[in-house]
Amino acid sequence: MKNEKVKKINLIYLLSYIFVPIIIIALGIWLSSEFFPKGNMAVILCMAPSIISFIWWVFGGNFIYKHNQKKLEKQLNENGFERNHTFYGRSNMVIVDVVNGKIALLFFWNPFQNFIIPASRINRTWVDDGRGGAGFLEGSSRVSFLFNVDNVKVRVNTFTSNRRWRMDSDYILTGISKADMMVKVLEDARTRGAK
Amino acid sequence: MGIFRKMISIFHDDWCRKCQYQMDETWRQLYMLPMRVGHYIEHNDANYYINNLYKVNCKADIPIGTYACGIIKYRCSRCGSELVKLSIFLPVRDQEKYEDTVYFNNGELDNFLRK
Repeated sequence: MKNEKVKKINLIYLLSYIFVPIIIIALGIWLSSEFFPKGNMAVILCMAPSIISFIWWVFGGNFIYKHNQKKLEKQLNENGFERNHTFYGRSNMVIVDVVNGKIALLFFWNPFQNFIIPASRINRTWVDDGRGGAGFLEGSSRVSFLFNVDNVKVRVNTFTSNRRWRMDSDYILTGISKADMMVKVLEDARTRGAK
Repeated sequence: MGIFRKMISIFHDDWCRKCQYQMDETWRQLYMLPMRVGHYIEHNDANYYINNLYKVNCKADIPIGTYACGIIKYRCSRCGSELVKLSIFLPVRDQEKYEDTVYFNNGELDNFLRK
């Protein structure tokens, strides 16, 4: 995986995640209308795919992502990757080996492919505190740290909310602290990786 | 008057618990508490702080995302009782996120603070 370009989204996985359940629902409805217009079988063919699809959309992605997170961690431990810092984001996981200047990445929409790359491939790191609004409305609903790898921008949220919080709120300060720390760690790894 | 002072003293952590008068600050020092942001665990045992606090000169000496602990020692000029206050906070850029305050009033940290 060392020379492979970082890819955040596996398009086939993303499309099949969304559309395969829809196709199965449509197939169930079609089968029911063609062959079982009445009775229990009709209900089963219409309802079961819908319920299973709903469960899949809500929990399936997380289940696959979490499962692959554990798999990657196990693989890294076995291969002597020193996990100095692990950040579990909702849409991606970043593991940094500061000692050997390496990073491991796993993305929610590309869970079957992990990237273990030299940290020297990071071009830029920065923190986005999401500051917006003016005066007493000033605040943020998202804090994240970002980095460019192979000119692909990776954003990892350290705090998200559906409302705006003041910049001095505990949530925002914790998010900024986590983001600052991860940027420092990535910079350290990049420096070591470049040596 | 006594009851009134007692009620007010609840809101002043630098007031003597026995005579409800303001105590004198006799000593203060900043320490680093080796706990990372998002992994703070509350401790009320003095031994934990004795074994884990590292003296630092200023906030800039504390690595990013690591907790700080400001220790202030108070002495009551009336009754002579002493109080040690530990303010645990997370330094975030130019701000501080307060996490916890721990008090020791039986001299548990005296030997440690003398070092």
